Amino acid sequence: MIITYEDIIIRTLTRVLAPFLQLYALYVIAHGHYSPGGGFQGGVILAASFILMVISFGLDMARRRLSEKVDIIFLCLGLLIYSGTGALCLALGGNFLDYRELTKILPVTIARARALGILFVETGVGFGVMAVMTSLVYDISTGGLPPERR
Amino acid sequence: MEVTVLIQATDEAFKIIEEARNRALDVLNTSVRFTAEAKVLEEKKVQDIFKGAERTKSEVLSFLATFALLFFPFWMPLSGFFDVFHLSIGVGCCALVAYISHDLLFVNVRVGDMRTIVKRFFAYIPWLLYQIYLASVHVIKIVLKPKMPIDPRIIRFKTKLQTDISMVTFANSITLTPGTITVEIKDGEYYVHAIDEEVAYDLLYGGEMEDRVAHVYMEAEHVYVQDVLDVARIYGALR
Repeated sequence: MIITYEDIIIRTLTRVLAPFLQLYALYVIAHGHYSPGGGFQGGVILAASFILMVISFGLDMARRRLSEKVDIIFLCLGLLIYSGTGALCLALGGNFLDYRELTKILPVTIARARALGILFVETGVGFGVMAVMTSLVYDISTGGLPPERR
Repeated sequence: MEVTVLIQATDEAFKIIEEARNRALDVLNTSVRFTAEAKVLEEKKVQDIFKGAERTKSEVLSFLATFALLFFPFWMPLSGFFDVFHLSIGVGCCALVAYISHDLLFVNVRVGDMRTIVKRFFAYIPWLLYQIYLASVHVIKIVLKPKMPIDPRIIRFKTKLQTDISMVTFANSITLTPGTITVEIKDGEYYVHAIDEEVAYDLLYGGEMEDRVAHVYMEAEHVYVQDVLDVARIYGALR
């Protein structure tokens, strides 16, 4: 169980920092095909903003912002986006995650199609990693008990 | 005998009339009360609707402010691509983040004051840097003396600041200045670790930094020297 401790400095700085942290995470995910970073790193930064809120504001406030149900939905959505992109390429006649095949349904060049495919996959990975990290922290801080038995 | 019967009958008649009057009064009072209650309820309903509208308005305002603050000074320099594709990704990401955490950034901020606060904050930074320079020189002197005359202590003092953000700014200014570290803020009291007596007394009885922070965040009952000077200048111009 995480014990909440009222500290003005930490709380205020978390409040100011969290939106920028989240936006930086989304930037890392969205620009993964141009610059260092990508889905995993961005997802971890995104999860870090929620973990920061769990640590500084307590579990309840963080759960009001991102409930466990929504967390699971994000987890499944991330997996769906990742494997869906791969399976789409498979269905279009290429290999799994062979983004070249996306040119058959999108009006873009092959190089652009590869970049777009990487962006889709990284979005999925980012959502999945964020959801897994956050749910890990939720589970650790509640002792793994379901909400009705706490 | 007939007279007594007559008197009794009159008495009874009076009693009945009295009762009827009381009952009528009761009914009247009850109806008045019900009307008043209905009125109060209706007013409350109107007030609730009004309050809800007010809250929605402030939420929309904070959403827009967060969006603007995230998109223009943060996302655009970070991204560096200004084509339609990347800008639309940026708009989407900023809208998502602003939707998730629009209630975090702008809490207890009076909208009209924002511009003044930002201006004064940027004016405060050079002064803080100069203060850091002075404190660094002091600490260097202490360190370079062979006897090293340090006298560490934790001092406790009550603050005049009122809002969270000003307290945090003051605490971080103290921590940034070499020789002093804010350990904790508890119930409006600062616990500060100071490296020697001079620094501690400066903080305890000087209070200039606190006044300046209060000036930045426009806290009440703080007349900062600069304000007086400004007023004097205006007064002189008027004369």
